[in-house]
Amino acid sequence: MTTTIFPRILTVRIQPALAVASIVGALVATAMALLWAPPDANQGEVQRIMYVHVPSAWLAYLAFVVVFLASVGWLWSRRPVFDAVAVASAEIGVLFTGLALVSGSIWAKPTWGVWWTWEPRLITTAVMFVMYVGYLLLRSLSTDMDRRATRAAVVGIVAVLNVPIVHLSVTWMNALHQLPTVLRAGGAPAIDERMLATLIVGVVAFTLLYAWMLLARVSIERQRQERVMREQA
Amino acid sequence: MALRAPLLPEHLAAARDGLRRGGLLAGGHHHDERGAGEEAGSHHAVVESTVASARSFAAPDAQPLAALREATVILDDRAVLRRIDLELAAGITVLRGPNGSGKTTALRALAGLVPLARGSRDVPPDVLYLGHRPQLLHGLTARENLRFFRDFRGGGGREARIAAALDSWGLHADADRPVERMSAGQRRRAALARLDTEPCTVVLLDEPFAELDVAAAELLLRALREAPPTAAILVATHGHAEIDALAARLFEVGDGKVTPARQRP
Amino acid sequence: MLRRVLLVAGREARADRRQADGLVAAITFMAVLVLLLSLVVGPHVARERGVAPALFWVALLFAAVITAQRSFERELADDALDGVLALPGGRDALYAGKLLAIAGSLAAVALIGGLLQLVFLDLDVALPGHLAIAAALGVAALPPIVVLDVVLTLRLRARAALVPILALPVLLPQLVAGTNAVTAAIAGDEPTAVAWSLLILAFGVIYTVLGLTIVPTAIE
Repeated sequence: MTTTIFPRILTVRIQPALAVASIVGALVATAMALLWAPPDANQGEVQRIMYVHVPSAWLAYLAFVVVFLASVGWLWSRRPVFDAVAVASAEIGVLFTGLALVSGSIWAKPTWGVWWTWEPRLITTAVMFVMYVGYLLLRSLSTDMDRRATRAAVVGIVAVLNVPIVHLSVTWMNALHQLPTVLRAGGAPAIDERMLATLIVGVVAFTLLYAWMLLARVSIERQRQERVMREQA
Repeated sequence: MALRAPLLPEHLAAARDGLRRGGLLAGGHHHDERGAGEEAGSHHAVVESTVASARSFAAPDAQPLAALREATVILDDRAVLRRIDLELAAGITVLRGPNGSGKTTALRALAGLVPLARGSRDVPPDVLYLGHRPQLLHGLTARENLRFFRDFRGGGGREARIAAALDSWGLHADADRPVERMSAGQRRRAALARLDTEPCTVVLLDEPFAELDVAAAELLLRALREAPPTAAILVATHGHAEIDALAARLFEVGDGKVTPARQRP
Repeated sequence: MLRRVLLVAGREARADRRQADGLVAAITFMAVLVLLLSLVVGPHVARERGVAPALFWVALLFAAVITAQRSFERELADDALDGVLALPGGRDALYAGKLLAIAGSLAAVALIGGLLQLVFLDLDVALPGHLAIAAALGVAALPPIVVLDVVLTLRLRARAALVPILALPVLLPQLVAGTNAVTAAIAGDEPTAVAWSLLILAFGVIYTVLGLTIVPTAIE
């Protein structure tokens, strides 16, 4: 589908390239995570989940920042492509947030003995998940394309601004109640070189995956938009 | 000053429009879209091969007081108005069309209640829009509602004017009754009393004769006859002989289009 | 502009005075919820540190949703909302005016609900002044988001359920801050109470400014 914003180059050249890069990246990252990186001194093999958990969380934050930018873009210019990017990124973001929460939970149980801890980062992630599910819910109940985009944009902006605020208040609350701070997701500061390398490769691979999924989803959304535009022309 | 539905503080919007006109920002109604090209104004590019744009044929020296130019309005993903041109000069203009033809949407677009997907809206802030429903807040009396509207506009009119208006519309006895305890006809009269309490340059009336009894209809006709000649009044109806007779201009609305009908002498 | 905002708020207040059933319902709801929750967890637990304030703020949040929705339902009757939006400057004044008016109603709800809690749980407040300020700030910080969400969902079918879903996660920091501030005030911990109160204020200001910027353009 050709439009002024979605030129052919994206669909014909870049999207397949991204697909290949993502798959290669995923394979490499998986190999490194499972085979090359050493097991953790304390946690053992379970710690390898970090290579899924950390990139997922990173990607979730990235996705929602993109939602924020796209939402501002829509309110400013009313160009439909911004709305397409917003919904695409939100959907992918919800996916990765869910993945981060689940992988975090799986990691937590054998490591710290609990499925969930009330750690600021976890709480923030959970709240983020709920906010964006609400975002998608709001979108699904709106029929009119323009109004839906505007409503979603407002929610998208409020939600992103809320993330640091939630983090701040929960951190403060935990400090107040002197709850033990759990091991940070990234591990101890003096992280093993190979672990760090694997982690970085994982983040890069996930980012490529995000870019590919985003492009594909935006393309679908643009086609939908074009179809509606044509139907009512 | 042409405005779309305001998204930003005015000076930012003006800056953005300036950038658009200079070609630095895509969008705005200066683009010549072909095919299914992207329309910067909204999701919906209206594909037009022949544009039957109707121009008002007001007398050359009559300045339009309000206008919609090449305006497209999309509601629920449907183009209710397609690239219409509607200009209001002083005097009474009638907008005629069957139900669902887009009359209400055209008035709401002029009033600034619906955003334009395309085109421009050139309307002074001094607009009185009376829609299908009375627009009176429940829990307030008719008098209080009118007072709110007048005060909001900054009119420091005397209380007596509101009382007089309510009297002349037959609401003397019910002026201090909460609106929800008035009948539908009484509420309509109270809404129409705003014609007296809020004098505006542009007045938009959406099917004002609906649900009016004979006496009230007479009052409305008289109000229209006695309206100041400098005011531009747009009345949307689906056919009303007496108001047609008063009208200086007539437009027909249908199929998303607005076309001028025969001008009355 | 301020004049218009006050006019909108005054209009709301006048309508509320004549149609007091909305406010009565919100107050009753608050009272019932507060007392019920205390009963359900058990009075001993309810008297424990932090429990009563948490119940208070959660109940108040729901009361705020009820109040805001009621306010806008009234606007939809006879298209009163269109009447205001069609006025010059109506869009901008509406949101701010509603914030003021709803905050005022919530203050009444909070006062009665809070007093009931203090009485029924026999709570001794060490810093009543701080408590009052924290409560006032918290009351003022709820409407910006609640009204924003009510406005966004105004023309949607499932808006009753959608508003809490949208509002609760965003107001979580407010609830946390409010609970901690009030808890500290009850316990006599002045620096903590002040710190959390300032946080409530900060959040309130951020969301009010944000709302004033983007909501007027989103009203339908």
